[in-house]
Amino acid sequence: MNDNSKNPKSGAAAYAAQKVMYDSGNELAAYAAKQINYHVMGYYPITPSTQIAENLDVMGAEGLHDIRLIAAEGEHSAAGICYGASAGGGRVFNATSANGLLYALEQFPVQSGTRMPMVMNVACRTVSGPLCIKGDHSDIMYMLNTGWIILFADEPQMVYDFNLIALKLAEKVSLPVAVAFDGFFTSHQKQKCMVFSDDETVQRFVGPKLACDNPNTSAFAREDAAGENCFYSVLDLNHPISVGSYMNEPDVINNKYQLSLAMQEAKKKLPGLFEEFAALSGRSHSFCRGYRHEDAEVLLFVLGSSFHTASVAVDTLRGEGIAAGVITLNVLRPFPAEELRRLCAGTRIIIAADCQDSYGAGGGNMTLELKAALQGMEGNSRPIKVLSRIYGLGGKDFYVEDAMALFREALSDSPMEFDYYGITPGSETADTVKIDANGHVSPSSCEKQPQYFAPLTEEKTRPGVTACSYDSAQKKMTVKGGLLKDATAMPKRIASGHGACPGCGIPVNLNLLLKGIEGNVVLLFQTGCGMVTTTAYPKTAFRIPYLHNLFQNGAATLSGLVEVFHERQRRGEYPEGDITFIMVSGDGGMDIGMGSALGTALRGHHLILFEYDNGGYMNTGYQLSYSTPLGAKSSTSHLGKNRYGKTFFHKDMPEIMAATHLPYVATVAESNPADFIKKAAKAAAYAKDFGTAYVKAISACPLNWNDRPDTERKVIAAAVDCCYFPLYEVECGITTLNYEPEKLKKKIPVTDWLGMMGRTKHLTKEEYRPVAEEIQAEIDRRYARLLARAEHPLL
Amino acid sequence: MQETATLPVTNEYGYFEIRLESIGGLGANLCGKMLGELGALYLSLNSLSFSSYGSEKRGSPVKAYIRWCAASQPLRINSPVTHPHILGIFHEGLISTYPVLDGISSDTKIIINTPLKASEAARKYNITVGTLYCLDALSIAMQSKSRINMVMLGAIAKASGFIPIETVETLCRETIGKKYPALIEANLDGVRQGFQMTESISFSESAQTHDKQNASAHGGGAAASQLAKEKYVWGYENAPVGGINTRPGSTVSNDLSPSREGYIPLFIQDKCINCGLCDSTCPDMVFQFAPGVYKGKQAMVNQGLDYYHCKGCLRCVDVCPTNALVKALEKDYPKKPWFIPNQDLLPDSITYQETGSNSYITSDSYLDEKRIDGGVV
Repeated sequence: MNDNSKNPKSGAAAYAAQKVMYDSGNELAAYAAKQINYHVMGYYPITPSTQIAENLDVMGAEGLHDIRLIAAEGEHSAAGICYGASAGGGRVFNATSANGLLYALEQFPVQSGTRMPMVMNVACRTVSGPLCIKGDHSDIMYMLNTGWIILFADEPQMVYDFNLIALKLAEKVSLPVAVAFDGFFTSHQKQKCMVFSDDETVQRFVGPKLACDNPNTSAFAREDAAGENCFYSVLDLNHPISVGSYMNEPDVINNKYQLSLAMQEAKKKLPGLFEEFAALSGRSHSFCRGYRHEDAEVLLFVLGSSFHTASVAVDTLRGEGIAAGVITLNVLRPFPAEELRRLCAGTRIIIAADCQDSYGAGGGNMTLELKAALQGMEGNSRPIKVLSRIYGLGGKDFYVEDAMALFREALSDSPMEFDYYGITPGSETADTVKIDANGHVSPSSCEKQPQYFAPLTEEKTRPGVTACSYDSAQKKMTVKGGLLKDATAMPKRIASGHGACPGCGIPVNLNLLLKGIEGNVVLLFQTGCGMVTTTAYPKTAFRIPYLHNLFQNGAATLSGLVEVFHERQRRGEYPEGDITFIMVSGDGGMDIGMGSALGTALRGHHLILFEYDNGGYMNTGYQLSYSTPLGAKSSTSHLGKNRYGKTFFHKDMPEIMAATHLPYVATVAESNPADFIKKAAKAAAYAKDFGTAYVKAISACPLNWNDRPDTERKVIAAAVDCCYFPLYEVECGITTLNYEPEKLKKKIPVTDWLGMMGRTKHLTKEEYRPVAEEIQAEIDRRYARLLARAEHPLL
Repeated sequence: MQETATLPVTNEYGYFEIRLESIGGLGANLCGKMLGELGALYLSLNSLSFSSYGSEKRGSPVKAYIRWCAASQPLRINSPVTHPHILGIFHEGLISTYPVLDGISSDTKIIINTPLKASEAARKYNITVGTLYCLDALSIAMQSKSRINMVMLGAIAKASGFIPIETVETLCRETIGKKYPALIEANLDGVRQGFQMTESISFSESAQTHDKQNASAHGGGAAASQLAKEKYVWGYENAPVGGINTRPGSTVSNDLSPSREGYIPLFIQDKCINCGLCDSTCPDMVFQFAPGVYKGKQAMVNQGLDYYHCKGCLRCVDVCPTNALVKALEKDYPKKPWFIPNQDLLPDSITYQETGSNSYITSDSYLDEKRIDGGVV
C-alpha cells in the first residue's frame, strides 16, 4: 500500500539508514539480490520476470556486485545450475514465471527434498496455452506441493523486503523460498519505495552462510560455535558426503516428515524474522492482513495487488453504510490457517476471488484453502458463507468498480456459489460460429463466418517454381528453377497484416522458404516472434494448417503429427498424397528446444526443421541467445567497465545438427535468394524421401540489431561475405560450399559487418579490438574447416 | 532540487492522474517513467507509474499511466488511468482509430502532438471539454535533435501549471545526463521548447465527460470500448474451444498503415522489370504479382502495392535495381493509382481494422538508449 507511515522518518535513530528509490518490483528484487551479493544466479529469460536478471546484468557490468549470472538454455537447466551451486555451499538466486516455472517444476521438490536453501522470484503469469504473457496466479499455485516456502508480495516495496527475509528464512530452516508477486502489476509498476542505504546493513541482517567445507567450522556440524546453521557441501573434500540418495520405503516418509517439520519450523520462525526486519526498517509484515476487516459483514479475499485496489472500494462502500472489508495472504506456505481464521472471525460472508482456477474443484486454490482453514473455526454457531469467484485471468485489469461489483454480488439475494467474473459471451451476429455442448463447431455455421481466402489447394501451390530430381548414382539432389521472377507465382501461405516490426526478417525468410516448396504444407511454429506476430487472437496470418507448441517441444510435436499422418494414410483414414511438414523456430527455440530437435533428427522423421536466427531472444526484449555474436550488447550482456557484451562464441547449430548424420543440412540467407529457394526445394525433397532436413537462415531484427529496416539485406549480405554466416549444405554427409566470398573477391573483415549494427558497433573501436580479433579468428577457423570438408568427401 | 508540489486538482480518491497515448518507438514509456520519478523524487509526492503491458515494438499502440498524490497518502489503485487530468497524445493518428480520448472531462488538459492549431484540432477531433494544447513535437524534436518524448515532457510540465521547468531539467540531467552525457543538451533543448508551448484553447462547458465506454454487465471494466467496435467478437458462447482460429489469413483485415513513419515506397510501373526482388524482400506481402505479359512474353507482372499492409520499412526501395520503387513522403501522395488490395481475397471488399505491429516486448533495458538517442546505425 506504500503506506508512508510505515517508513522511517529520515534520521530516526532506531532504524538503519535507508534511501528513497523509484523502482518496480523486478528492479527491487534485483537490487536486493545485488545487496545480498549472491554467489550464483542461474536463470532463463521469461516475461515478466526477465528484468530481474537484466537489472543484475546492468549492475554487474558496472562492477556493483559479484554475482555470477548464468544464462541457462532453459528453466529446467537454470534450476539445475541453482541446485549445483547450492550443493557447493553457495548462495543462489533465480527468477522465473509461468511455463518457465512449470518447465523447472520437477526440480523444485529435488531442491526442497534435499534441503537446499535458495531464493527464487516468481513474477506470476498465466500458464499457457493458449500462450498469454500477462499476469495471473495460475503458475505459482503449481508450487504449493513442492515443499518450497512461498511468500507473496502485493506491492514493490514488499518484493524488496521479502527478498531479504526470504534468504534468512531459507537458511534458518534449510528450505528453498519463492518470493511471488503479480506479473506486471507489481513486477513492472514503479513506485516510491525505501531501500537500505548500505549493502552492509543487508548483509548483517542475512548473516554469513556457513558451509561445512569451511575449515573454520567443525566437520558435519549443523551448527557452528555461535549456534548458526551450517550447511553440507559437496565441496567438502575432507568429509565427503553423498547428496541425493536412492531411497524407498521405509525411509522416504521419514525424509518427507523432516520436510514437513521444517515447514512448521518456518511457521514458528517467521514472526520473529518479521519483527527483526521491522526493527531494522520500520516496516512490519505478517502472514496475512486485512483492511477494515475487524467489523466487516462482508469480506473480499484476494491475493496480490488487487488487495490495494479493493481497499479503495471498501472505503467507498463504507461511505454507503456497507460494512465491507478486504483480506489477503502474504505467506502461502507455510499456510497461516489460524491467523487467517482470526481475520475472518467477525464476518458473515466472504467472497473469495482467485486469479486462477483449480478447474473442476469449484474454486481456485486460495478459495479451497480458505474453506479448509475455516473448518478449524471454533464455536461454529454462525458459519461463514464462502462464495468463490475466478477473476483477472490472463491479466485482465482489476478496477475499483470490479471490486465493488464483487462485493455487491456477495450481498445480492441468492448469489451463485461459484462463478467466473469478467467474462464476455461474444457478439450475437448472424454469422457467428455455433458450438454444440461438446465444444464442436458445426460446419454450417463455419460457412457463415466470412472467410477471406479460398483454401490453397495442391494445384494452386504447384506453380512449378522449382523441380527436384535425385541422382542415385551420384547421390545428389539437383534442383531446377528457383528464379525470383518465377517465384512470385507461388501463392503466399502466410497472409499480410501480421504484426511483425517494419523490416523484420522473419516473414522475409518464411516467404523465401515457402516459395521453394511446391504442394501442401503444414506448419508448426515454436514460441517466438514469428509466432506471436502471426497469431494474435482473434486473427491468424496462416492460410494453411498451423500448430504452435512451446519452444522446448516443437520438433517432437511435429514428429507426432508426421507419424499420425502416415499411420492414418496407411489405415485408409486419410487420402493419399504428400504434405511437407515444417517446424519453424527462432534461435531461442533452438536453445531451449535443442534436445527435442536433435531427438527428432536422430529418429529421422520426414520433416523440415527451419531456424530463423536473429541472434537473440527478441520477443522478450533481446536477451542473449547462444547464437548472439561474441561481444554483442543485449539486455543480458550489457557493456560496462567490467563487461564487453556477450562472453562466449555463437553456437554453430548446423554443425550440431550435421553430427546427427541427418540427410540434409543447409544454411540460407536472403541476400542469396535463388540459392535460398533452391535449398528449400531440396529440403522438402529430402524430407519426403530420406528423413529430417535442417535449414537455417540468418534473420534480420531492425529493432534489436539497432539498424535501419531498409538496409537489412545489405547487413545480411555482409554477414555472409565476412564468413560469419557461410552458405553451405551437407547432403548425406557431403559438404558443399555454395558461395565462396574470397573466390568472388567479396570477402570482408568481420568488423565491417559488426559495424553495421548498433548492437555490435562498439567492437569496431580500438578498445574492443581484442574481442573483434577473437571473433575473426574463430570464424576463420570454422570456415577453414568447412573448406577442408568441402574438399574431402570423407570429412 | 526538491520542490514540494501541491496538486491543483485530484479525483474522488485523491489522485492526480496522467495518461500518455503513443505508438512504440516514440518513447512514451520512458516519458512515463520520468514523470513517475519526477513526482516521487523531485516533487515530494507519492507516485507510481506503469505502461500498458506489452509495450514498445515499433508501431504498436502504447499507453503509459502515472498516478500522483500527496506524500502523506497511500497509493492504492493499481489499475489503468481511465479519467486523466493530463492526457498526452504522442501520435495524432491514434485519435481516429483508438478510443484515446476516452474519459476526458473539464479537468483534463489534453496535449496533442500535431502541426494543427488547437482550434483546428478541436474541430477535427470533436473535442469540446477540458483544455486543449497543441504543439508540433515532431518538428521541434527534429530541429532540436531531441526526441518527441522529451518535447512532450516539457509540454506536459507546462500544461500541468504546477511543475517548474527547472525541476524537469534537474530530472533530465540526473537521469539521461548521467548515463548519456553527450545527449543531454539537445534533449534539454527539446524539453525547454516543449515547455514554451503556447497554443491552447479552453472549453468552458460544465463537467461533461467524453466517454465512449460501455462497461458490460458482467465486469467488462474499461476495456470494453475497443472491443465494441468489432463486428464479430468471439466470447465464451461462440468462440471455437481451445482458442482455435477457424478463419485462415484473417490478419489480412488489419490495416498496418499506422506503423508507417511518414514514408512510402512509390511505384513507377514503367520502370519495373518484374524481377521479383521486391517480393523477395517485403516482409508484409505487399506486392501483387499476377500472370500477364511483359515484353511480349507470358510473365508474372507486378500489378501494384497493397498499402493496407505496407509498414513503410522501404526494404523494397533498397533492392529495386531499376528505381521503379523510390522513397517518397506519404503526405505528398494522397492518391496512389498503383494501390491495389490483396488479389487473393474472396470478398470484394473487407472492413479493415487499423492497427500497429503487435505489442509483445515487455522489457527494454537494451532499448533505453534508443529512446533517448533515437539513433540507429
